[in-house]
Amino acid sequence: MKGFEEIQQLWHGQDPDPNVSFDTVLKRIKNSRSAFAKKLFWQSISTAVAVAILLWMCLTVDFSTWTTYLAIAIMVACICYYFVSQLNDYRALSRSHDLLSKPQDYIQYLKTFQQKRNRFNTRNYAVYEVCIAVAFALYGVEMYFALPLWTFIGLVVFVIFWFVICHVVFMKQYIRNENTRIAEMIDNLERIKGQFNENTEL
Amino acid sequence: MSNQRQLFQQLFEENSKRVYHLCYGYTGDSDSANDLMQETFIKVWQNLDRFRNQSQFSTWIYRIAINTCLSYLRTAKRRVTEELNDSIIENYTEEPSEKQEQVALLYKSIAQLEENERIIITMVLDEVPYPEIAEVAGISEGNLRVKIHRIKHKLTEIYNSNERV
Repeated sequence: MKGFEEIQQLWHGQDPDPNVSFDTVLKRIKNSRSAFAKKLFWQSISTAVAVAILLWMCLTVDFSTWTTYLAIAIMVACICYYFVSQLNDYRALSRSHDLLSKPQDYIQYLKTFQQKRNRFNTRNYAVYEVCIAVAFALYGVEMYFALPLWTFIGLVVFVIFWFVICHVVFMKQYIRNENTRIAEMIDNLERIKGQFNENTEL
Repeated sequence: MSNQRQLFQQLFEENSKRVYHLCYGYTGDSDSANDLMQETFIKVWQNLDRFRNQSQFSTWIYRIAINTCLSYLRTAKRRVTEELNDSIIENYTEEPSEKQEQVALLYKSIAQLEENERIIITMVLDEVPYPEIAEVAGISEGNLRVKIHRIKHKLTEIYNSNERV
């Protein structure tokens, strides 16, 4: 039978110590910084290349309908929107002001952040999907005049098929997984938030 | 840069052990505790220029450590429940001494407390002053004292009942 003082003595005599040295932490800082920078670099490059190709097409190819130019503008806007959103999330994660908040405020921040991601993956993605579909439809006007009818019909069927697969299979699956994860996380956070609440029963 | 590195090294040496204890008490698993401790210090490094002397460095680091532990839920492969008790025992499978067994039992008992109680009691055990714990946990000192009294009692009971088994 031990009292709290004995438990405290036991605590001070414990062996488990961190087996991570200062140099290891420093190395991990450098690695994570370069991995983050590398990821951001390649995303920026691919976005810039995609936008440059679309703009180059605008300038060099003589499209016969104005709808194609509008389609390209919508595509560029979608790509830029996606890139900026990703960039904001990276920055929010790496330099969060809320990291220094009281635990209960931080839990609130995590919940808000996850809900924001959920909105991004569902509502915003749906808008994004519609915009891309509209862009393809607008480009289809040009194709209608440029391609033989059956080739045009084949292309339309393929694009519709691809959109349906993305929407019904891939995105549904992604949203389902994400929602399950978010629901579980929010349940956990709700439980902990109650524990940290100043007014919790003493 | 080198001043910042020196300061960071000093902070690491002064606080890493306590942060590790806090993370170990919270997760009940030394591998996760090491990961969380590293993650905490990475965040400390990233935010070092934002420290404004409004509190002690240790308070500031504890706050980051607690919030890192809380967000650990997002990526945790397994839940912090009874199953972690088994992993605590597994950590001491190489013919543990009596003292190691008692320490393992202590961590097992801490794991049976609620999350916020684990965080508070590890700081109490590491003899962090009460005003600092209150600041870190974001609750009043009066409330904290009542909580600590209750948690000490609860931990002692859990430990003794685990010891009897």
